[in-house]
Amino acid sequence: MAKLVLYRLAFVLPQMLVVSVLVFSMTYLVPGSPAGAVLGPSATPEAIAQVEAQLGLDAPPLQRMGEWFTALLQGDLGTAYRSGMPVTDLISQRLPATLSMVVGGMLVALLLGVGVGVLAGTRPGTKVDRLLTGGTVLGIAIPEFWLGLLLTTVFAAHLGWFPIVGWVPPSTDFLGWLHGLVLPSITLGLTGGAIIARQTRAAMVRSLASPFIDTLAAAGVSRRTILYRYGVKNALVPVLASAGVVFAILIGVSFVAEKVFSFPGLGDLMLTSTIGQDFPVVQGVVLVTAALVVAINFVLDISYGLINPQARPA
Amino acid sequence: MTTSTIGPNAADTSSTRQAAGLRQLWRRLRSQPVTLVSTLVLLGIVAVAVLAPLLAPYAPEATDFDHPLSGPTADHPLGSDELGRDVLSQLIYAARTALLVAGGSVLVAMLIGVPLGLVLGYKGGWYDRIGSRGMDIADALPGLMIGFVVIAILGRGMLVLILAIGIIFSMNFARMVRAVTLTERKKLYVDSAHVTGLPTRDILFRQILPNMVGPLAVQGAVFLGNAIKVEAALSFLGLGLPESQPSWGGMLRVAAEHQADRPWMALPPGLAILITVLVLNLLGDGLNDALSGRRPVRKRARSAAPVPPPAPAAVADDARAAVLTVDDLVVVADRPDGSTARLLDRVSLQVRRGEVLGLLGESGSGKSMLAKSILGMLPPNVYAEEGSIRLDGQQLRGLPEREFAKLRGRKLGVVFQNPQGNLSPVHTIGQQLCEALRANNELSRKQARARAAELLELVGVDDASRRLGQYPHQFSGGMAQRVAIAIALAGEPEVLILDEATSALDVTTQSQVLDLVLDLRERFDMAIINITHDLGVAAETCDTVAVLYHGELLEVSEVNALFDDPSHPYTEALLAAHPTAETELDRLPTIADKLTVDGDWIRK
Amino acid sequence: MNDTATPLLDVRDLCVRYETSGASSWRRHLTTVLRDVTFRIGAGETYGLVGESGSGKSTTGRAILRLADIGGGAITFDGQDVATMGRRTPLAYRRDVQAVYQDPGASLNPRHHVGRAVTDALRRHGLGSAAERRARAEEVFVQVGLTADHLTRYPSEMSGGQLQRVAIARALVLNPRLIVCDEAVSALDLSTQSQIINLLMDVQEQTGVSYLFITHDLGVVRHVSHRVGVLRAGELVEQGETKALFEAPLHEYTRSLIAASPASHPQGRDERRAARQARRRAGVGAA
Repeated sequence: MAKLVLYRLAFVLPQMLVVSVLVFSMTYLVPGSPAGAVLGPSATPEAIAQVEAQLGLDAPPLQRMGEWFTALLQGDLGTAYRSGMPVTDLISQRLPATLSMVVGGMLVALLLGVGVGVLAGTRPGTKVDRLLTGGTVLGIAIPEFWLGLLLTTVFAAHLGWFPIVGWVPPSTDFLGWLHGLVLPSITLGLTGGAIIARQTRAAMVRSLASPFIDTLAAAGVSRRTILYRYGVKNALVPVLASAGVVFAILIGVSFVAEKVFSFPGLGDLMLTSTIGQDFPVVQGVVLVTAALVVAINFVLDISYGLINPQARPA
Repeated sequence: MTTSTIGPNAADTSSTRQAAGLRQLWRRLRSQPVTLVSTLVLLGIVAVAVLAPLLAPYAPEATDFDHPLSGPTADHPLGSDELGRDVLSQLIYAARTALLVAGGSVLVAMLIGVPLGLVLGYKGGWYDRIGSRGMDIADALPGLMIGFVVIAILGRGMLVLILAIGIIFSMNFARMVRAVTLTERKKLYVDSAHVTGLPTRDILFRQILPNMVGPLAVQGAVFLGNAIKVEAALSFLGLGLPESQPSWGGMLRVAAEHQADRPWMALPPGLAILITVLVLNLLGDGLNDALSGRRPVRKRARSAAPVPPPAPAAVADDARAAVLTVDDLVVVADRPDGSTARLLDRVSLQVRRGEVLGLLGESGSGKSMLAKSILGMLPPNVYAEEGSIRLDGQQLRGLPEREFAKLRGRKLGVVFQNPQGNLSPVHTIGQQLCEALRANNELSRKQARARAAELLELVGVDDASRRLGQYPHQFSGGMAQRVAIAIALAGEPEVLILDEATSALDVTTQSQVLDLVLDLRERFDMAIINITHDLGVAAETCDTVAVLYHGELLEVSEVNALFDDPSHPYTEALLAAHPTAETELDRLPTIADKLTVDGDWIRK
Repeated sequence: MNDTATPLLDVRDLCVRYETSGASSWRRHLTTVLRDVTFRIGAGETYGLVGESGSGKSTTGRAILRLADIGGGAITFDGQDVATMGRRTPLAYRRDVQAVYQDPGASLNPRHHVGRAVTDALRRHGLGSAAERRARAEEVFVQVGLTADHLTRYPSEMSGGQLQRVAIARALVLNPRLIVCDEAVSALDLSTQSQIINLLMDVQEQTGVSYLFITHDLGVVRHVSHRVGVLRAGELVEQGETKALFEAPLHEYTRSLIAASPASHPQGRDERRAARQARRRAGVGAA
């Protein structure tokens, strides 16, 4: 087990390193200078040069990268161009809202997705299967933020069952926090769940078509045991893989859904800094997001190794 | 009549054949109503987009300050926004934007992704190692976020949007192309092309790329849908196109502001997105199904011939009564085109305790179906229509599944062909053995484990207790097949069926496994049915041999009699055509030599 | 066979190593698949190479076809050193040395009709105009027992036996001097198998082509080969004239292989079984 963890860790570190380097080089891809963006189109070259020196943009690349990395390892993600506030603070303020939404959505997605997938996969070709599969096709096609908009319009604005402004910090009011999370989780969970359901169904069908199913059935093992112990376990691996993908997707979706549910999360931060070309913030959000995704995939990879003995290092 | 809903044949309620050409593809597509409807709807949407100036009642940016935020009226069938712009017109023109952006970005994605995938998949080696790592790293970033970054760097606008979305999706295409290339590269026809002398470049473009058109089309359709969703999301946030260009996402942005007072405004653009993406996905799915030839076979209501009454207690004129008797069994299959095929035609045979009955037949003879009928594990669309199968006097044909489940393992045991496939790769040998043991006997966990170790030793697996904790991939083919035999023996069956159980094994391993089976026969006095296509296997192991050909039982004889003096010309021809390690002939006689011009057998 | 004449194919101390990667693609292991394999094939001769799975017999064929890298030793074809031919195999070699594989369906491109397999081969070697190529394709199809109609069929529309004939036609059309048959009849029904074996032997009589016949089936190899080599775990443990090898095998492995092969008649099987059990008790033979 420890071997598995160390092994996977050996992948994670270079991955984060490369992502960091790529993120850092972002600023060099911009036509013109970010300083120009900060000052506006009417800025004079002197003013730009002055701002550049101020923001430290005129130093040689390697030096800047070194400084950036040292700061990074100390937990300092830089300072925003416009507001001058430390990026780390900006992000940590908004992380809880995003995380709440994404985790809530993942839980719903997994429950719904695996449930629907197993149900459909164990009875392929039947009416139930066709109904459920039709549902997943719809779930994948529907724009998430529109769904959120509809849900809030009906359940929050008109029926009043849920607050229109969904976010309540858990420390202030735990139940309120949960209450406010319901609609966003359902919104994210429905699309994520549709993706997971399709993968699960396909994996179940493949697993149940394997010859060992016949061997066990012929040996007299009950159908239920075969379906749920052997069929499902053999289908788990692709499901885990899709869970990782869905997590990444949901983070992106949450950036948009925030607007609908008025959640003060990373999405809004990303939006303003994208429009304003405020690169330290953009870089910070990208790094943090990448770290989150990598972390989740790390956990999933370990689980994958636990389930499938052939994936463990020899 | 029983059908299985689990097992290798169960989930496949369809017939599969690769689409060889466009002709076949078109034929298949025609039979898929959902795909056809989706294509029509999609064409309709494209038509609307192209004909926008003709269809839209107003120019999208035309304002009408007299009727802002109106509901559906004669002037504005879908209402108007706060500046009085007609929603319907905006909707129509936005279709253009959506399709343009989607088409452009998928094109960009393919232009980047396809060559990348081809190179990585074909060259392999270091290129591939680094490239795959790169793709894995790209995975760490959510697609939408990459879009944000590209827009942050390059600013807003239609071209940037197309580029951004294209970049987001390029890795998906690269990954798919790489996977397809890797699979195709390993295929034999690439080697054959090499051997013919074709250069690498040719092989890539003439042999591999055409095989990719299908998956690319499917992926393309699906990603067109995704692109529309992403564009909508970015426009919803205000990052997409400028206000002057109508887009569904932009319309939703406006609708969101009026969520409280004009909730219906969100419906038209949202539905437009939903329907477009839906038909694109359905089209992609339909193409996928058509390409891989998955067609559902329609189930027909069947009434099987009435089951004959149980036979009166058999008068044992032999010293041993038959434990399994098959009488005039007829098995048919429903074909996708509506006809039925006879897989087994009035087959009769019997096995006694301690006897090894060989079922000799080539592929297509129906021998596997016989085994499956006895077990009650026929695939869907295959039915035992007439005749009887009696096990210890009990009628098996027509037995409900629940009764069958009781018999399997306890009275009937099976070993199938594929050694590694017979065992679940994610469970230990011990788990699976104990599962079989406890399904058939009242045993505690501990007792089951002890018995499992005993069983393993019985079948010749050394160091049994330790190996119980191992996984199937740690067993060689011969060992894995021994485990399968142990599983089959768990319930101490009276009849053991070997369905080509040694065909996939090496000659030396095969002889060991067969010797093991013969040992077990002696020990437990089991009746054994050995299904094989190999004359040599029949010669070495069987007491009686039944010869099957296209579902017909040609002859049943004691083994020496069969080899010395076969009564059917087919058997004769089979024996003569069998090159062995002992005889040397100039020319092998063939089966065709035994047939007259009309296809009748030349009898002695 | 005249031993003193220059053999068509001369394999000396052939070594082939494969790179295998474990669960990670960073770690690479080198496994030796063939070690010091030496044999020769003369013109018009059939050399049978037998072995069980993992013995390296397919790899031998691949090395000769230049589909696998030679890690040591030498392969000489008609006096030319194959190993030093460079990265791009000379076209002449591709004409002289051809192959027929086990899975006829898989060795043909599913999207082309089968006639293309033959005409493509001709086109590649610049032989004849389009019309001439088509005529030659028809000719060779007839030679293998098919008809001109079959030229435009897709692989999915033909049976296994027919597809194998197409594969043989493709190999023949270039007038090769050596054909590597890698389990060429193993996937066929017994009835079809005998037809294809007869076809191959007829072709040899007509054209004088040599075969490297790779198989695991002792019965088939005894029937078709002039000489036989036995491979075990990458090493050639014994080789010789077919009749002599089968009647009086020298190496223990050859003996156990022959003993394990199912016989053609039940007679004497109890004795054979007892002999095998005695061997096992004495600890001889693989587990």
